[in-house]
Amino acid sequence: MREHEAARDWIRSDETAKQMLSRVLGDRAFLLLPPLHRVPLRAGNVVEITGSSPTAKTQILIQAAIACILPKTWNGVHYGGLEKLVLFLDLDCRFDVMRLSDMLKHRLLEANRIGNGAWWQLEESSGVKNCRGAQDKSKSKSKIVYDEELYVSCMKRFLYLRCYDSLELLSSLKTLHYRIRLQEACGSQVGVLMIDSIGAFHWTDRLSSSLALDKNNRKSLSLTNVVETIVQEMKKLMRVHSLVVIATKATIYEEKYPTNENNRKLSSNNDKAQQPPFREFMPSSWQAFVTHKIFIRKSGDHHQSSGQQSLSAYSLEWLQPQLSSIDRFIVDDVSKLDPFK
Amino acid sequence: MAPLKHLEMENPIIDASFRDFCSSHGILTVEDFLIHDLYELAAFAERQVDADRLKEGITVMLSLLEVKCRPLLNGMELLEDLQRNKHTLSSGDNGTDSLLQGGLREGQVTELVGPSSSGKTQFCMQAAASVAEKQEGSVFYIDTGNSFSARRIAQFICGSSAAAALQKRVLSRISCHTVYDIYTMFDTLQGLEVALRSQEQMNVNECRLRLLIVDSISSLITPILGGSGSQGRALMVALGYLLKKLAHEHNIAVLVTNHTVGAGENGKTKPALGETWKSIPHVRLMLSRDNRNNICTISILKHTSMLSGQTVTRKDNQQCL
Repeated sequence: MREHEAARDWIRSDETAKQMLSRVLGDRAFLLLPPLHRVPLRAGNVVEITGSSPTAKTQILIQAAIACILPKTWNGVHYGGLEKLVLFLDLDCRFDVMRLSDMLKHRLLEANRIGNGAWWQLEESSGVKNCRGAQDKSKSKSKIVYDEELYVSCMKRFLYLRCYDSLELLSSLKTLHYRIRLQEACGSQVGVLMIDSIGAFHWTDRLSSSLALDKNNRKSLSLTNVVETIVQEMKKLMRVHSLVVIATKATIYEEKYPTNENNRKLSSNNDKAQQPPFREFMPSSWQAFVTHKIFIRKSGDHHQSSGQQSLSAYSLEWLQPQLSSIDRFIVDDVSKLDPFK
Repeated sequence: MAPLKHLEMENPIIDASFRDFCSSHGILTVEDFLIHDLYELAAFAERQVDADRLKEGITVMLSLLEVKCRPLLNGMELLEDLQRNKHTLSSGDNGTDSLLQGGLREGQVTELVGPSSSGKTQFCMQAAASVAEKQEGSVFYIDTGNSFSARRIAQFICGSSAAAALQKRVLSRISCHTVYDIYTMFDTLQGLEVALRSQEQMNVNECRLRLLIVDSISSLITPILGGSGSQGRALMVALGYLLKKLAHEHNIAVLVTNHTVGAGENGKTKPALGETWKSIPHVRLMLSRDNRNNICTISILKHTSMLSGQTVTRKDNQQCL
């Protein structure tokens, strides 16, 4: 009897054609907002964003997360999101949920303004939203303009996990599949897995490499083994969930190359050997896992003509696939990333 | 985490034969378990006589790991934790508080960077006085350079004319600990963590610890850095994470100070401790002082939710020292 059951289970179809079609269509490539707009991403891609701290890396992650948790449309207003879950693995342990909340509110207000055409008064409420003191005022004011229910449902699609060391990261990854399944039972699928930032435990892992007990071929907790297992676990996750992985990587060595990107462009044209503009420290198993590479550096201050306050400007370069264009962007006071020429 | 046999008491499935099977694959501890491919291990278990029992053991191990993991929180739960448990503490200086939109935030590590005699220690002592007086929280002050002065802190309490009883009460909330090397530092912090955990278990909420100050953290870390070895940097990162963990898990604001070093070529100074340390603090503040007119400038180098580059200046009252 049991064998019969097993055989029937085996023969039974995994999914119907309709389910498959919706899955395949759902897996289509999508474009993120600038500054990540140059290359379309699809499930299975692993994007690595490198830059020294601070170069707005977490900012870019949060912006991408918002694009993922927003619905496509809601009550007739177009938001252009993917309506999927985001899983944010915080290894730096300094994620600030206020920033996510502020940026999400700003996006909701902006979409409403464009959708309904008469939300000119929102400008000021989003302008003061950073001030704690004025927050209550802006909250009561903005209640009228964005949908609280939509806001809550978006925030609930953002899933967060923090890890204080590599062992916590490993045990989280090992049990993540079950926990994702529990979350997905509520409706949405996980779309993006974010890691901020991947090299966080580099030094402590390197130290444990030197402490390795080298007896009876026992696998040690060395840096290469740990990263290999991380990659392996992530590959397993990506086999069952259609995910895009976006990881940031803080440079841990001082930059020795000229900070001026023009110099660098010249030198990279001369020798095609493709030296990365930073010192690579991740083991080869991770480097082989990454499919897209982005490098960000600070490119001086951008002085706005109106105010005397200067904003930090950054330049972003695609290393893989290699693109010739360099995008420059600034982070303005409503925590938005604005491209400029 | 521990050798597997310590788990047998509560989980009889992890018995001698399961452990034998594991050790034949080089798995002796729970950590070993983490760096192995469990699917592969289950496939090996399949070939054994007692396959079902072994696979059950692997499942039990996985569920033990899951219990140890931190819960997956969604955005609303994070927001709730922030609003309920992570308050801002006044640093005692109005300019700085408005620059930081309220002051030092519980759960975060704030770093003060500045050259020698730019007012870092003064800032720390003022913050200690302010938190002990206005927020009625206790302060854990780690002094690494013998620069702590109870008399100076007393001056910060509502000016210097405060009633003796108030002064006494406020000062009793501040405990000073002298630490001269990083190993003692780990001891002190781990002791603190244990104490806090037992306090939380017994629900002692009276005058809870709200501010942890380390003045200065760079004098503990600098001596172990240098050279090409990774040991110094590993200790630095471990200390940083211990501080972040204390801050977040026990809702404490952590304030550390760092000195500056000359960058060489262009004569500019920059924070000490280098590139790796940059990813530790949530907030980095740069202090600088113009000695001619006693004007002190504080600027944001890095903030998790604010733009960097904003500054505030203040006239200093150093003369009362």
